[in-house]
Amino acid sequence: MFFDIEKQEQWLNKQLHKGYRCTHISGLGIYTFEETDKRYVMRMDYQDYLSKQKFKDYKGLYEDFGWVYIAGSRLGGHYWQKEDDNQNEIFSDRQSRSNYYKRLMNYSAGFGLMLLFISYLIFNDSGLYLADGLWSMEGTLFWKAFLFETPFVLLRSIPFLMAVFFGCSFYKAFRKYSTLREG
Amino acid sequence: MKHKLLPLSETMHYILLALREPLHGYAVMQKIEKISNGSVILAAGTLYGAIENLHKHGWIEPVGESGRRKVYMITSEGNAILKMEQNRLLHILSLYERSESNEKI
Repeated sequence: MFFDIEKQEQWLNKQLHKGYRCTHISGLGIYTFEETDKRYVMRMDYQDYLSKQKFKDYKGLYEDFGWVYIAGSRLGGHYWQKEDDNQNEIFSDRQSRSNYYKRLMNYSAGFGLMLLFISYLIFNDSGLYLADGLWSMEGTLFWKAFLFETPFVLLRSIPFLMAVFFGCSFYKAFRKYSTLREG
Repeated sequence: MKHKLLPLSETMHYILLALREPLHGYAVMQKIEKISNGSVILAAGTLYGAIENLHKHGWIEPVGESGRRKVYMITSEGNAILKMEQNRLLHILSLYERSESNEKI
């Protein structure tokens, strides 16, 4: 799962520019690099769900172009690395690039709406603070209870905060998408 | 309404033209680089998406395998699309040829 695929791509490429090559990305998002004298570039791709056969075709074709598969999931995101030469992009025309942003928009919207629904379920039956009678307490008792409860509130707000992040990445992808469509 | 892939983009046009003979994906890119005199060099994701799209609309189809690679070729529907596009472009070219002075409005 990722919030801002392009920021992540930029960060990875900054590391590669310093003379590293990515060798592994774990499921938890831990990157392993090794030093190299060659220049590498990383591109992130997002595809709709790929069946086993389609994934094989997809991977095979990119590999023919010299891309090395670093990590990813058939459910969506894919990390591709390649030695820096004149062909460093995975999209060469406007149409395919705008389709890419369209897929990103669908991804962000899907996750965002799901998380909004989850946070609706969380807050619907209980409101923001769980403790009964918190708002009728007075003085130091109120503040103690309030401070005690606040971390739980933050915890329960995580789905909502994530939904906001997905909303932002949806908007970013939408901006790029509409710029490509206009021209 | 017009089909959403029409008029054909440069990428789609070149792929359909290249696939009048059976080729696998990477060979399509190489052939297009050659027949476009080096002006159209498709990237991996663009080619993958275009092949998927053309296949989805039935304009190309897999006709076999070469090693692990799928080999594609244009279908009769695809050829009909090319014929339509050829007529459209020929008309536009004829407008280029016509001199301004002959215009009667």
